[in-house]
Amino acid sequence: MRSRLKTAAILIVATTGLIGLVGCQAQAGSGSGQGKVVLNYYTWFPSEAILTKAIAGFEKANPNITVNLKEFTNTDYQKALPLALSGGEPVDIAGVQIDAMTNTVKDQLLPVSKWKSDLDPGIYSSIDAKALKQTANVASDGKLYSLPLGSIGSAVMFYNATILKELGMTPPKTAKDFQADVAVIKAKKPGILPVATAGKDAWWQEEVLMTLAEQDNPGISSQIISGTGKWNQPAMIAALQTYKGMFDSGILSTDSLSVAYGDHNTQFNDGKAVFLIDATWNDYYLSAAARKAAKNDLADVGAVAIPVMHAGGKPAARALTEGGLAIPTTSKHPAEAAKFISYMFSKAGVNTWGPDLVVIPSVKGFSLPADTLTTPAAVDGLKTITSLVLNATSARHSNQAFNNAVEGNSILDVLSGKKTAKEAADFMQSEWTSGRYPHGKQ
Amino acid sequence: MSTETTLRRVGQVPGRATSVARPARRRKRGPQLKSLLIACVFLAPLAVFYGIYYFYGFGFLAQVSTEQVSLSFLSAVNVGWDNFRLVLTDSIFQRSLLNNLALAAFSVFVALTLGFLVAMMLASGLRARRLIYTVVLLPSLIPLSLFATVFGRMLDTRDGAINELLRNVGLGFMAQDWIVNEPSAYAALGILLTFMIGLPVIYYTADLGQVNGSILEAATLDGASVWQIFRLILFPVLRNTHTTVIIAAVLGSFRAFDIVFFSTGGQPGGRTGIIGTYIYSSALGSDRVGFAAAASIIVLVIALSLSLVQLIFGRKNK
Repeated sequence: MRSRLKTAAILIVATTGLIGLVGCQAQAGSGSGQGKVVLNYYTWFPSEAILTKAIAGFEKANPNITVNLKEFTNTDYQKALPLALSGGEPVDIAGVQIDAMTNTVKDQLLPVSKWKSDLDPGIYSSIDAKALKQTANVASDGKLYSLPLGSIGSAVMFYNATILKELGMTPPKTAKDFQADVAVIKAKKPGILPVATAGKDAWWQEEVLMTLAEQDNPGISSQIISGTGKWNQPAMIAALQTYKGMFDSGILSTDSLSVAYGDHNTQFNDGKAVFLIDATWNDYYLSAAARKAAKNDLADVGAVAIPVMHAGGKPAARALTEGGLAIPTTSKHPAEAAKFISYMFSKAGVNTWGPDLVVIPSVKGFSLPADTLTTPAAVDGLKTITSLVLNATSARHSNQAFNNAVEGNSILDVLSGKKTAKEAADFMQSEWTSGRYPHGKQ
Repeated sequence: MSTETTLRRVGQVPGRATSVARPARRRKRGPQLKSLLIACVFLAPLAVFYGIYYFYGFGFLAQVSTEQVSLSFLSAVNVGWDNFRLVLTDSIFQRSLLNNLALAAFSVFVALTLGFLVAMMLASGLRARRLIYTVVLLPSLIPLSLFATVFGRMLDTRDGAINELLRNVGLGFMAQDWIVNEPSAYAALGILLTFMIGLPVIYYTADLGQVNGSILEAATLDGASVWQIFRLILFPVLRNTHTTVIIAAVLGSFRAFDIVFFSTGGQPGGRTGIIGTYIYSSALGSDRVGFAAAASIIVLVIALSLSLVQLIFGRKNK
């Protein structure tokens, strides 16, 4: 009995020791060992495959630094990073969703001014000043906390250039063109969906609605989200009516209202939809090589702005910088982290993630490899999208809580005929000012 | 009341049983204390764990509920009772709470009727008993999120299995926007909850085995019909099981987040949302954690109140 107890005690002590040792080792993993610095990089973007390539390039150029990548999915990351930082996890480089996360984590990040001098020479000045200003403006205190990899915008429209060519059509520019194109597709290609869009997700409803609103009233989205404009102003009610009109006129189909964002791509990917209302983070559609890598068999894809719905309106999109790279206040290696960030903005770095076409890089003078876009539809498409993003009429800001609880549902109520545009707009305004959804500069 | 009676009650009548009983009590107290001590030693780690879990957790929640703060929990602004006021006056919260109660009532109804009947059928020596058991229990064993996601996809208007099936059998006119229409969205949730009768069936089946067979024999000899045996004997005899089933169904409805979130997603227009989906979406966005914490505390108070009511009624019934 005694020997058994002794054995048990030894086992417990040994196990505890082992756990302690592993724990210590894990801690050491975040610091430096044998002169080698280990950086922990938490992010959701760019993709793991792209980042693995970028990290390999950085480590080759900096043999004394190792980067451990921890990649999350988009929505998980919004909760994972703040909790990781609050919980004291050793994060050295943090990817920041600029609109959705900056104000949540800014108190745990070093302002860029604190590590700007650690960046390689010329890196900071190579980033577009407008992109830096836009990123700084997102923070409630107006400080710059991350360097943005690029910009994204929405909503835009991709099209299956092969089908359009077959039907002898050109991409629509106005509501009238759009309606005519949809009628032709319905008549000549009965098994094909004219326009694929998503209606189930609140955030996507806002993207489409605000794009329509911006066509007639540039800047309206920024006014409302910043608290200087009202949700129930006539222009917003008109935008709601315009959006509803797209369903009433048959351009959009009500069966898309139960389609989740992401699922709407399926039919387009399979060649069973002609137009796809989406965002610029899916610009990969324009690259034949990227489509092939994504196992997408579409032969040719182009992109245009969402057709202008009213006479006098202009093509529009909201856009904002995205993919911020930041250094947490708890990082023990800010200088090395800045070195990695420098690499990401260097020519070698941007050539790794830039051709991915998720963002329009904020590095000045970046150009895609010549063989990325191979058709006139793709070349023109990217030109149009780049112009829309760089000349965005409003920042792609959103109040996530309001959007989830009130805005998305109100838009859906209008589209499904449960509320008039005015009723929905009045409800949004009353909720907006209820105090439940903090907005504007706090 | 006589003095003797009083003294007897307090054990002070000389020469009676009390004087004999005292040494006996003393003899028992030693081992009892030792047992108590051992029990305490074994329970202490668990008590400490739960103590920390509950008191720290609820304490933290209570503190955060009075603040306007983000997930970083830094730079919190004290807003007092404001978050509670904002939650309680929110029409979306009120609707979510009503939905919760409606789902709870529906779950209880289904469990007490369909669940009870299925359990009776299974207990009556049906041939395909095992197959029916498997079919009934399977949805309760599969992760709810997966089950609800698959069901949600089936409801898709454009290419969902239900509409596809209707179109293929020539009933395309019946295909509709299941989630976009309020009645069908509620019906979809009702169907999902109905699939969850597996647990009530287990409870009933287990307790049916404890019913004294002679009662049923006597009833049969007295000429009672099967329906009368179900209605007048088995249903009342299993009243403790009903209580367990009701509590499980009511509390289950407060945890029906995955059913709603992954099937209707609260649609149409947030009308099928419940407290769980409300709290989840409340926590998203900046500076909203305090608001979500206040909503959680209100729900906690409601759930505890329901349990208290059940306890009071349970004692009265006993």
